[in-house]
Amino acid sequence: MSDFEVIIYEKKDGIGYVTLNRSRSLNAYNIRMRDELYQVLTAIKDDPEVKVAILKGAGEKAFCAGADLTEFLTAPSPTIARQVRWERDIWGLLLSITKPLIAALQGYVLGSGLEMALCCDIRLASEDAQFGVPEMDLGIIPAAGGSQTLPRVIGGAQALEVLLSGRWLKAEEARRLKLVNQVVARDELLPAAERLANKIKAYDPVAVSYAKQAITRGLDLSLERGLELEANLADYLIKSPT
Amino acid sequence: MAAATVIYTKKNHVARITLNRPETDNIINQQLAQELVDICRGINQDDDIYVVVITGAGDRVFCGGSELERLVQRANTVEVSSAKLKDAATKYNVATSVASIDRPVVAAINGDALGWGLELALSCDIRLAVDKARFGLPQLASGLIPMDGGTQRLPRIVGRSKALELILTARTISAEEACAIGLVTKVVAQEKLASEVEILARAIAGKAPIALRYAKEAINKGLDLTLEQGLRLEADLYFLLHTTSDRTEGIKAFLEKRAAQFRGR
Repeated sequence: MSDFEVIIYEKKDGIGYVTLNRSRSLNAYNIRMRDELYQVLTAIKDDPEVKVAILKGAGEKAFCAGADLTEFLTAPSPTIARQVRWERDIWGLLLSITKPLIAALQGYVLGSGLEMALCCDIRLASEDAQFGVPEMDLGIIPAAGGSQTLPRVIGGAQALEVLLSGRWLKAEEARRLKLVNQVVARDELLPAAERLANKIKAYDPVAVSYAKQAITRGLDLSLERGLELEANLADYLIKSPT
Repeated sequence: MAAATVIYTKKNHVARITLNRPETDNIINQQLAQELVDICRGINQDDDIYVVVITGAGDRVFCGGSELERLVQRANTVEVSSAKLKDAATKYNVATSVASIDRPVVAAINGDALGWGLELALSCDIRLAVDKARFGLPQLASGLIPMDGGTQRLPRIVGRSKALELILTARTISAEEACAIGLVTKVVAQEKLASEVEILARAIAGKAPIALRYAKEAINKGLDLTLEQGLRLEADLYFLLHTTSDRTEGIKAFLEKRAAQFRGR
């Protein structure tokens, strides 16, 4: 995995670090990044040495400023694009990882960048972070899950207001709307994410993954089914020899 | 025919609906309900409308409830209430009608939104309110429950616990508290409401109209689906949008660093 161009993947003491690395293009998401991310996320999912992952952006200006629009008009027909979308379901892969994912957000967090962060479990932002979903200005809607994940995180009315108006949010408003869990100074961003990752990785990884699954899958179930899920997961934990 | 109880205007792709019974707190009666239902139906058939604003006439009340609620409030006992309710030919399904509008709907809450009036506001997508407005679903105090979607929409907006507290206590809350619990997006001074709503409506109306409808559908319908089903819905709507000329124009305009000229095609 050393031939990556636009992603840096490092593994250190049980933490997987994924760095979006196109800083000259504000880490804009492109097809190359999709393919490299696909490999990295698969590795994180399968590698028992990785207990928790941190997603971050290279450089100073952005986590990720959105999709690289220069590739947009070269896209194949909508029917083929749809087929490709599900053949290489990068966002489904990201959401299927049962290890905790922490997004360390700085600078521009726009479009696909925000949507990628919304597929993570815990979002930390630096004071200079700015959030927005500019898709509507292009005559389209979000396509990396944003129309589903954003309302589940900040509520339908707030999501509609942000999406339909195209308005950007500063870090403090993002915290107030619970779009991010915490706002810290810029030089504190990575240390804060690491403190969190270290705390989580000290716990039993199976219990951690069950807790994540109970919460994320449970939100899609009726309360009754959610309670069953929780009881079953707890049962496995108690009975499984560790 | 009686004078219109709803004022309906249209300008620059923005439709404006004003509940116009200021002398009776803009409360919903049979006539107003029917006019509103007809207007909502017409909006869905008018491609020239990109965004809808609903407000109340006057500077005191957005909508104080319904004639039905007033009747029951005056009836003193549950028995009389039940009889009156049975007599009412129909419920006024105004919130249901507003919720069926496929364009984004902004509630410009110019004053109190109580009972049926709050249920109407809950069926809008985005709520802005003046600082003097009060909010509540006080139906329980007259032996009723909310019946135009309030018991379903309020918990989906403010969470189950807060919704139960408000409905079970029949308590009225301030605009400030409404904003803190996410019931309204923004609170402004009375004199600022019109301009704030105008800014928001213009920002929305500047977007591609088909994308606006699909965004609303993806978010509102998606919240009733599992995440996996919602992602499917989003992707299908997204690829459909790639067949529109507005999408081509949107991306070209961005790359050429100019404002896009969307035409709803």
